[in-house]
Amino acid sequence: MRVGIEVGGTFTDLVAIGPDGIVVTKVPSVPKAPDEGAFNALVASGIPIGSIDDLAHGSTVATNAVLERKGFPTAFVTTKGFRDILALQRHGRAQIYDLEYQKPVPVVTRAGSFEVAERMLADGTVLDALDEGDVVARLVPALREGRFEAIAICLLNAYVNPAHERRLAELLSAALPDVHVTISSDITREFREFERASTTTLSAYVQPVIDRYIARFRDRLSSAGFQGRFSVMQSNGGRLPAEAMRANAINALLSGPAAGVMGAVRQTGRSGYQNLVTLDIGGTSTDVCVVTGGSPQLTQEFSLDGLPIRIPLLDINTIGAGGGSIIWVDDGGMLRVGPHSAGADPGPACYGRGGSLPTLTDAHVIRGTVRPEAFLGGRMQIDAVASARALQPIADRFGMSLEAAADSAVALANANIVRAIQLISTERGHDPRDYVLVPYGGAGPLHAAQVAGELGIATIVVPPSAGIISAYGLIASDFVLFESLTRRAPADASAADTLRDVFATMRERALARAEEAGLGKKVELKLTAEMRFVGQAFEVPVTFEEREIRRMTADGVRKRFADAHHRVFFFGGEADKPIEFVSFRLGLAAPLKELPLLAETATQTKTEAAIRLHDDKQWHEGRLRSRASMKQRDRVRGPALLEDPTSTLYVPPGWIARRDANDNTVLERA
Amino acid sequence: MQERTAKVGAKPKSRTMTGKARAGSKSLALLDPVDYAVISQALIAVAREMGTKLIRSSYSNIVREAQDASAALFDPAGNVVAQAELIPMHLGSMSEIFRACTEVTPISELRPGDFYINNDPYGGGQHLQDVFIFTPIFHEGALVAFAGTVAHHLDLGGGNPGMTPDAVDVHAEGIIIPPSRYVYERDWNGGTLERLIAANVRVPSQTIGDFYAQFAANAIGTARMIELCARYGTATVSAAMTELMAYSERRFRAALSAIPDGTWHGEDAVDDDGIGDTPLTVKAAVTKKGDTVSVDFSGTVPQVGRNLNCPWASTVSATLAAIKGALTSPDIPFNEGFKRPITVTAPKGTLVNPNYPAPVRARLLPAYRCFNATLKALAQVVPDKVTAGGNDSTHALAISHLGERGYRVYLEIYGGGFGGGPRLDGCDAVDSPLSNCTNTPVEATDMDFDHFRIVGYGLLPDTGGAGRQRGGLGFYRRFLILKDGTNFATYTDRMRLSPYGLLGGADGSRTRIEIERDGKIIRSRSKDRLDLKTGDVLTLYTSGGGGYGAAEARDPRLIARDVAQGYVTAESAQRDYGWTDKT
Repeated sequence: MRVGIEVGGTFTDLVAIGPDGIVVTKVPSVPKAPDEGAFNALVASGIPIGSIDDLAHGSTVATNAVLERKGFPTAFVTTKGFRDILALQRHGRAQIYDLEYQKPVPVVTRAGSFEVAERMLADGTVLDALDEGDVVARLVPALREGRFEAIAICLLNAYVNPAHERRLAELLSAALPDVHVTISSDITREFREFERASTTTLSAYVQPVIDRYIARFRDRLSSAGFQGRFSVMQSNGGRLPAEAMRANAINALLSGPAAGVMGAVRQTGRSGYQNLVTLDIGGTSTDVCVVTGGSPQLTQEFSLDGLPIRIPLLDINTIGAGGGSIIWVDDGGMLRVGPHSAGADPGPACYGRGGSLPTLTDAHVIRGTVRPEAFLGGRMQIDAVASARALQPIADRFGMSLEAAADSAVALANANIVRAIQLISTERGHDPRDYVLVPYGGAGPLHAAQVAGELGIATIVVPPSAGIISAYGLIASDFVLFESLTRRAPADASAADTLRDVFATMRERALARAEEAGLGKKVELKLTAEMRFVGQAFEVPVTFEEREIRRMTADGVRKRFADAHHRVFFFGGEADKPIEFVSFRLGLAAPLKELPLLAETATQTKTEAAIRLHDDKQWHEGRLRSRASMKQRDRVRGPALLEDPTSTLYVPPGWIARRDANDNTVLERA
Repeated sequence: MQERTAKVGAKPKSRTMTGKARAGSKSLALLDPVDYAVISQALIAVAREMGTKLIRSSYSNIVREAQDASAALFDPAGNVVAQAELIPMHLGSMSEIFRACTEVTPISELRPGDFYINNDPYGGGQHLQDVFIFTPIFHEGALVAFAGTVAHHLDLGGGNPGMTPDAVDVHAEGIIIPPSRYVYERDWNGGTLERLIAANVRVPSQTIGDFYAQFAANAIGTARMIELCARYGTATVSAAMTELMAYSERRFRAALSAIPDGTWHGEDAVDDDGIGDTPLTVKAAVTKKGDTVSVDFSGTVPQVGRNLNCPWASTVSATLAAIKGALTSPDIPFNEGFKRPITVTAPKGTLVNPNYPAPVRARLLPAYRCFNATLKALAQVVPDKVTAGGNDSTHALAISHLGERGYRVYLEIYGGGFGGGPRLDGCDAVDSPLSNCTNTPVEATDMDFDHFRIVGYGLLPDTGGAGRQRGGLGFYRRFLILKDGTNFATYTDRMRLSPYGLLGGADGSRTRIEIERDGKIIRSRSKDRLDLKTGDVLTLYTSGGGGYGAAEARDPRLIARDVAQGYVTAESAQRDYGWTDKT
């Protein structure tokens, strides 16, 4: 039996797939103790813990520790003269006209920041040796006195030569054996000291949190008779054995949305879809990601609460648009949806918990696209009258009918989602029309058709049990780790040789780490070179598969970069200008021997009825079906609602839905 | 003295305003609220994408690391519709700089492939280094918009690499590109204009690369606008552009109406002109009447012989930024509509509206005093919306060297502490309000330059003025010079006159630059040029912000935090706040 448990902000989802079929369970989360919710889900599912071979877990423990500053006291050590790197940051402002602008708050305070005498140069030579006497005499006592539980070390130019960082870590670990020590060169080998220091301090900060969480979780599993493999999701879209994660805590940040993307990739991949735009709409936010050739796009430019993180993670764009997003009119008379959310409490007006502001969910109730009796599988009472009461003032303001105002709000939310997708597709040089849209989460399938229409996407593929696809993604993900390396080298006639040389070195390191983490021998490797024209400061990623690297020519390498540059920046298509490599990252994946197969669950009710719903300025007579009742030969014409216990799929007029051989529901234009 | 008045909201008042009103009502009838919201957000997204890509594909450290560049979209008449929020100084007056080009070649004569270019301080521009390029966007044969970008170019010639502190006129500061129309394929792209500029700058590989990044960003704006027009129809997009400006105008006028009518005066000064020691005073009279506001700089000192003159476009930008920061909520988009209720006036021949050929390189310094004088006037009527004086200066440092491989020019600009505010302490060590440049990572300077090394960079405790809300801290940046014959040029300010406290808050600390040579300290003047030697240690200390409100009213927990974190030393806390260490 394989079991995935995903802890979200509101619900904890469980998917179990074994010889006897599929179990899907949803229970309320326990925000103060996420593992509590996870075990509640296990109990509710009725699965004997001893029968689980493979348990994969995803949680927001690390992310919340940062957002709520609930990590453990952490110290920062850097090169003499640069103690204030974390406070100085990059000197710019996110809001340019704000006279009371405030910087993002680092997780390490100024009083927790220390210096050590040493200096490495940009070419990796030592200018000033590490002053070991000073470390022992001054730094160690200061760290001890501060009662820190974690130490982040980031020395200047350590990305080229980590010798000083490693030696310093040895000295500190020897003197302070109970303290976690994290060095920047182990976390990311990229230049720009503030970003690297920020990444390193975040990693050190969540290290004890993750370590303790995993230890507690594992103990509890063991005492319940668990003997299988326990793994944890990472933000790069792969998982790691839980023990290995205890030393790679930074990868646990932002891992939640990654599981959903991987679930979508695996489930639609079974039907041959390789180019996807994923669309996850939940209660407060929407996550979108672009997947090309079966691989989700990665980014190394991310920030959490304003603090930069420079590790490869899925390029997921999150915006504040969800079922709880508030519909309002600003003081200039513009209709707005979000980013403020009514959250789960008081929630949308229709929850009847005291919320009086109209939300996106209320708009759906008014349109008839959310049926009160079916909301969250019928587990929640919905007050449609409250929805109407809340939205009426906005309808009056624009002289519209209530339903038209609801349509407008949905259209506006969709427009915000479309822009979020364009940011990671069009702006990155990908044309959304070459992709299919894969919606999931509670509300993704409700919005998919209109979003696809705006983007010119012709096909929508909805996975079964779309509301819990993240939990499926946990057990459907490969085991993955990344190596990074900064090495500036000209991409001239020797470009292909450099590529091969770097690949050989990094491959060896990655294989050693894979072995240490127990990932097995069968692995797939992919090398990404960050390249630029000489003189530029930002690089364009260019990816090479293992099998290509052997026969790549210098011209081939240069041309691939020039094309990629032109796609993004609209110039630089000519490969004859000087080009250089700046850094490399190697992705190692240990693919699953066998993919667990998701299907419609048999427990669904077989509803079928006539319904009325409002869209595009008019009422329509439509059909209601349960997805489980659809046969492969069936064709459902919009307007229709297709329900499963975890989400509702809206098929607008002009679209036709069918169920494919893998239980994906495919929407196409009629 | 000739008066110069700008109705900064674009065109001559009477006829245009009625024309706009008609267009506005027509546009509203045509627009449904969703289309309008969608297109207006898309326009802002296009401008932002242009700005991001300009920075990411550029070459010089001043654009790619410091991000001294901006981008905007304009309607077919040249009104700013949406902008990438990068550098306030660039953005406020882009339409004025655009309009100077139309006076040379009317818009009606533009063809696809043409572009306008302008860096002329006396032709609508700011200082020479900021080169503005505008590309007309055509769809189905009709002009639908303009894409515009500006980048601060590392070096555009002139008497000294990076900057020429002792320039006697604008000609000594670099190459002037008067407002003009060129054809991209013919004149750039290996053509005569590109070759002319390349031959007149010291680091053409970087400078020409940055120009290409500007053209490419304009091309991106063009492609996106054409997509929008194809999707929604040109008429709908035009209507949305008109309405977006009307929207900002409406919201701003509503905010103005909530403030009492009256006239208030404020003044602040630049330390000196770099030769003498007389402060250069800028005076502002701010008049608020109904839903309009006007700022008059009469009484400001005459223009000076050194580069501290503030061209008209810069004065306008600075004044608008003060008004935007103080009187509007941050989510009102900045565009031409916001500018319509504002009038700025300054007599010709003054520091803030100089006559040709006064040099203008350091125009940001007097521009900051326009900003401060305006805020000080506003402090008398809306003290809860205005902050104390901050570092509010651009400290520009150029450290360059001519070696066997040609010129190496390191140019960076620095801020300091913000003034304390009505609610929050001033931000520590951040670029000043009219600018928004990021620092160059130390690891990047280590990689790119071998004539100096940065050996220290940190906060300066006790530099923020005491107050209920403390002023933000200044910082230091220390350079070890590694080569003889290294050339240092600078303009800075607040060396003589401290950032002012507000409502009982104390002043912030002053700026200084020190060079340690053979055990002795040499003080740089605020505007200076010096030859440096191997082993010299040069340190810039930037100003902390002034405090807001009386120190006695400060929350004791904040004082304790400041001491614990080393933002304020125990001695200063005792002196300024009567704090005692009770542990």
